[in-house]
Order: sequence, then C-alpha cells, then structure tokens
Amino acid sequence: MPEPVIASVGASPLGRTDLPGRDLFSVALAEAFDGLPDPADLVEAVYVGNQSESYEHQIMYGTLLAEWAGLRHVPAERVEGCAAAGALALRHAVKDVRNGEHEAVLACGVEKMTSAGTSGATDALSAAFDRAIEQRSGITAPSQYALLAQRYLHETDATERDLAEIAVKNHANAAHNPRAQFPKEIDVATVLDSDPIAPPLKLFDCAPVGDGAAAVLVTTEELAADLDRPQVRVAGSGASANNIAVAERDMTDIAGARIAAETAYEEAGIDATDVDFAEVHDAFTVCEALLAEAVGFAPSGMGYQSYREPAERADGWTDVQLSPSGGLKARGHPIGATGLLQALEAYEQLTGAAGDRAVEGAETALLLNEGGVADAVTVGHVLTTAEAP
Amino acid sequence: MSDADLDATDPRTLPGFFDALADGELLGGVCADCGQVLLPPRPACYACGSRAVDVEPQSHDGEIYTYTAVHTPPPAFAADAPYTVAVVALADGGRLLGRVAADYADVAIGDPVELTVREPTAAEREVALDYETDWPVHVFEPR
Repeated sequence: MPEPVIASVGASPLGRTDLPGRDLFSVALAEAFDGLPDPADLVEAVYVGNQSESYEHQIMYGTLLAEWAGLRHVPAERVEGCAAAGALALRHAVKDVRNGEHEAVLACGVEKMTSAGTSGATDALSAAFDRAIEQRSGITAPSQYALLAQRYLHETDATERDLAEIAVKNHANAAHNPRAQFPKEIDVATVLDSDPIAPPLKLFDCAPVGDGAAAVLVTTEELAADLDRPQVRVAGSGASANNIAVAERDMTDIAGARIAAETAYEEAGIDATDVDFAEVHDAFTVCEALLAEAVGFAPSGMGYQSYREPAERADGWTDVQLSPSGGLKARGHPIGATGLLQALEAYEQLTGAAGDRAVEGAETALLLNEGGVADAVTVGHVLTTAEAP
Repeated sequence: MSDADLDATDPRTLPGFFDALADGELLGGVCADCGQVLLPPRPACYACGSRAVDVEPQSHDGEIYTYTAVHTPPPAFAADAPYTVAVVALADGGRLLGRVAADYADVAIGDPVELTVREPTAAEREVALDYETDWPVHVFEPR
C-alpha cells in the first residue's frame, strides 16, 4: 500500500480577522503551495473540515474551496464533526492515499467564528450537544467541560491551581509560536482571577473564539520526493464516536480518546512511551489532564501534572511534551481548522522548522482532535519523521 | 429488527418520551441483555448493541453527580443566567443532565435531588422548533 505523507502545510492568521472563510483559506493555501506546482496540477480530491454554517450561512464548503483553489471536477466535500472536523478531513485524505485512490489530496479546514460575536459562537457551538435534553437545559461548551472538570477535581488530587498551570504552560509555549493567536506568557493569578465562565472553569481556562484556516497536502511518499518536499509520515490513524450526551459517558475516563489513540499507535507499531510530543485537544484546561491519562501518557488521576517538566511528574508518566504550539488555549481554536493546525505544528516540529519551540530530538507525535464534548468523537493520528524506524 | 412501525406514540421516540414526561412519568429504556438504562429511551443499547430494549418508568430520585453554573448562556437563555446545571445519577441507574433549582453555591456532589416537570415558559416556546413547542422541561429540585 502507498505510504501517506504530509508534503506541505499552510495557515492563515488566527484570531479576529477581517477575512471571510474562503479568503482565509486562500491565504492558507498560498502558504502550503509556495514553491509547488499549482493545486490544479497536483490535487485530486478535497476534504474541508468546517463546524457550522451559522457563522457565514454557507454550506457546500467542499465545492466552494475546490473552486477557490482552481480545481474543477474533483471530488470535494465538507466534513462535519464539530471541533474534530479538521482531523476527520485529514483522516479521509490519508485513507484515500493509502488506498491508492489518489496520489495527492488536500485536507483543509476553515472557521469564521467571529462573525456574530461571542453569543453567536456560543449558540453555534451548542448545536454540537444533544438537542432534546442538553440544549434545552441551556448547556454551553464551557459548562459541559465544567461538568467534567468538577468531577475530575472531586475524584483526584488536582486543584483549580493545577488547571491554571496548564493554561500558563500553553501560553508560555505559544510565546515562541509566531502563528499563535495569543503569543504571550501569563501567570497563574491571571487565570485564577479571571471571570467565572462555568465554575470551576474561568475565562483563562477556555480556548478563545477566533477565525482561521489551515491546509495540509497529503501525498504518496514518492510524489513528495518528486516535489522535493520535506515529508512527515502519517503512520497511524484512529477514530471513535461515543455517546452524544455527556451524562451517559464516563466523564473522567475518556474512552473514545483512548480507543482512537490506541488504534493509531497500533497502526504505527508504537506505544505511548514512544511519543515525543503530542498536540492534544485542550479546548479547556481540564481536557489536557484527562487526555494525558486516556492516551497512556499519565497514570489515572495524575494527568493534571502535564504542565510540569517530565522529571517532576508522578511515577508512570512518560516524558512526552504536551502542545508545544501553545495548544488550542493559546495557539488558537478556529474549530474546523484546529485538527489541521495540530498537523501543521507536528509537520514543522518533525521537519526542523519549529524554531525555538522545537522539541529536541522529536521523531514521533500524537495528534488528538475531539468534537462535541470530550470524546463525542475523537480522531488520533501518529506522525513520524521520514527517517523514523 | 422489528421497529419499522415505530411512530410518535412510542416512548422510544422523542415525542413519545416527552408525552409521557408531560404526564409526570420519566421513561427509560432498559436493555434486556445488559441492563443499561437509556435516557431517553431509544431502539438500541449503546453499551452492548442489543435492540432488545424495554421501556420502564424510572425513579425521580437521584444525587448530584457533577454540576456547574452557566455564566455565558446561549442567547435563548440570556435572561436566566447564571443558572445551575447538573448531571444527576438517578436511583434506577441512569444519568440525566438538567437544570437545578438552586444557586450554584448551595449545591454539592452527592446532594439528593428530585426530578420535577413543568410546562415550557413563553420564552422557551419562542425558541422551540415547531415539533418541540409543547415538550415539557424537567428541573431537579433539592430535597
């Protein structure tokens, strides 16, 4: 079977922008194809991760972005899975290349979240929850995750200060990331003293609302070599859906994330201890703690130590570095693009293009992208350097 | 499979579930194979995949499993904020999310609560889809 690789990446600016979604995509695409033949000369299919038509009153994003890329008469479709849409798009591209169906597939994601203010984004995101019970009870994304956080703090030794430290760590990482929406350090007091959003979560426990687009070109390794591009292997891919209603899931053992990661590990022939760094779905600080446990980085109840240096973590932790990009919290979280921004970070890290945020000696990365609340749907990918065994 | 005649009177559909709830009865699906409680009832068990799902009345008594307060509500509920929301572990084994009729500061994990049912308010009817207009709303009252 052909080996799928990532051959190029690009992104738009992240945050509050004056560009609509298609134009954000044009910016991301231009970066990804800098120095390459035009998309029309390479790309055989397009997948677009996109959360919601409420931001721009626009569906048909597959057709639209294929057209804006200069492609006509290729298969193109929007992929929906709330915040996991980007990694789902990547997964489709990877499968198409691995199956031998296409040699080059464009996985991209876009979200224009700032079009209707915070309340517009709150409303659009609430559509990811069960309509009959959850939405009609007035639940929101932060309050859903607050239910997980409250339970996690109840069951473990973790404190609100530990969760704050996760945000501090991710901001410190983002300070070295020129792509980040918030490339600046913050302190613990800033988090703890920030406005209550859904206790125990406060404003600085939450990833921001923002616009953004990302484009990732997936090809065969032969084509990437012909194009003389640095390549990163997609060695494993896994996905798992769990119940839509959070009440009917285990709220501190994120089973869907474990299954998605283990599927990806197995395909790649690795285990959790082989992962040098991970980009995880820290939409809220507690997510990083829960996911570290789910995917085998941390012992049960110890994931909240993710902000500490490896030597200072509990026994049973791996030496993984979490979210060198700054994560969703500080790099930014334009919903449909997020899974591809994670892939972009891993591409830059594994091709020596991560500058002063480089994880030294990194060869293997786990990407973990979730949609809905926690593991309503999870997508995991293992990326490795071309030289990795 | 024998659900081809499933209609809106069946409590394994949302209209059927909410009709019963409007009469004060909380119906759950109970898997005949593994015992999993499903709230609301549905044709298949998520825990084991069985389609042998019985429909049985569920106790209204439960305990707070986890909770929070919504300070940044969706536009439809802006007038209510901040309001308390919890996941409640019901006595018959199911778990259900809903509003709690108490201030956040007065709630703790493990607190006993009782499910009550009311008609939707005018504001709730305003934002309801056509087929949801008369669906009741459940609220957990501290006991």
